[in-house]
Amino acid sequence: MIIKVENIAKSFRKKIVLRDVNFNMEKGSLCGIVGENGTGKSTILRIIVGECKADSGNVYVDGKLGYCPQNTLLFSQLTVDEHFHYFSAAYGIGKDELYDHCEELMIHFNYKQFKNEKIANLSGGTKQKLNLSIALISQPDLLILDEPYNGFDWDTYLMFWDYTARLQEKGCAILVVTHMLSEKERFDRIYNLENGYLV
Amino acid sequence: MNTYRIYTGLSMILRMLFRRRIALILLAVIPAIFLSVVEFTSSEHILPFRLASLEDEVFVGIIERGISLIFLAVASAGFLVSYLALTLIQKNSEVNRRLVICGYHPIELLISILLSLILMISLIGIYVGLLTNLFFPIKHLPAFIIGLVLIGFVYGCYGLAVGSIIKGELEGILLIVLLANIDAGWLQNPLFYAEAQNQVIIQYLPAYFPSQASIISAFTDYSVCQASLYSLLYGSIFLLLSTVIFFYKMRIKK
Repeated sequence: MIIKVENIAKSFRKKIVLRDVNFNMEKGSLCGIVGENGTGKSTILRIIVGECKADSGNVYVDGKLGYCPQNTLLFSQLTVDEHFHYFSAAYGIGKDELYDHCEELMIHFNYKQFKNEKIANLSGGTKQKLNLSIALISQPDLLILDEPYNGFDWDTYLMFWDYTARLQEKGCAILVVTHMLSEKERFDRIYNLENGYLV
Repeated sequence: MNTYRIYTGLSMILRMLFRRRIALILLAVIPAIFLSVVEFTSSEHILPFRLASLEDEVFVGIIERGISLIFLAVASAGFLVSYLALTLIQKNSEVNRRLVICGYHPIELLISILLSLILMISLIGIYVGLLTNLFFPIKHLPAFIIGLVLIGFVYGCYGLAVGSIIKGELEGILLIVLLANIDAGWLQNPLFYAEAQNQVIIQYLPAYFPSQASIISAFTDYSVCQASLYSLLYGSIFLLLSTVIFFYKMRIKK
């Protein structure tokens, strides 16, 4: 088991967002969490990665974690290459390993031509590609994606699913949170978040 | 604590800073405008005032233009560094949070920010010191520059503390403007201070010791060691406060 979420509850002031949320994931599995806007989908992810503390419950993660937040969290004054460099220092990845991963990601998602471009000059779709790539450079055991294909064109959307399939083959578990789920057959399990409960 | 991460953070922060060309130009232009306005508007009258931080009752007589130039050099250095510090800690706080989730320790990030700030404080201190010396001959220029670096340190750490506590940019700027205007921009003016009531309040404000260090070194041969030490102490309190708040906000919550 790569992740086990037990009895998570979370409220913001008087508004109860999550009540007794439980789920777990095995290596190489793909799970989805769907729900309407404002139901607390992103809150679950923020609790798993440690950005936000649950009022009660536990989260157990066994392995490296990669997180792609909903908003493109990037430094507008740095280039694509500098982002890889900065985040690789955070992950503790060596230079040679980093070079191979970055090249692979930039080629796969087709944005290598923007390697030395500042983020402020990139399109929304390219920023999202980098936002996703940062979550992937550490070769995580558990990948947590919050609305990962926002702003992707159709080709990039297909590239995304192609890449996730390859990750699954390597044993990476993937948790996708989205408000719209079109290709349900790709998922091993889909949870619906309603009134704070995962159904 | 990983020195490679601190070095990488420092390198990236400096790249981001030096790519904001208009901001850099303004950092250079603002003190020049302040000092030029003083040069063109203040008189040559000799005004006596007491050096407040010295134990002996020492009075000096300096022309109004000289006093105003030194006072505004200190005020402009403090304000600029404070705003710079606020921007450094506040602007990319969400991306910094992501770096922490990916493996950075909050203190590694804060050290990178602090090192960048110290570099900028030194550059601003040297620049404003040399510029002031062009307008008015400073008696002990290196010590005067140290005084400017100290006001930068105190107000820079204040900016870090404000940026750590306050999320909104406008609210942060207003808090900086509030203190910088009242303290460095008004109450520490030696001409106002000499006749002020309740001087003890002024002595406890952050710009007091750095202002005294700058004024003493600019006009006299007296030692600025005591004023410098108290400035470092004052700045360190702000730094400690900002460190605790930054760590508390950035830490992984599990």
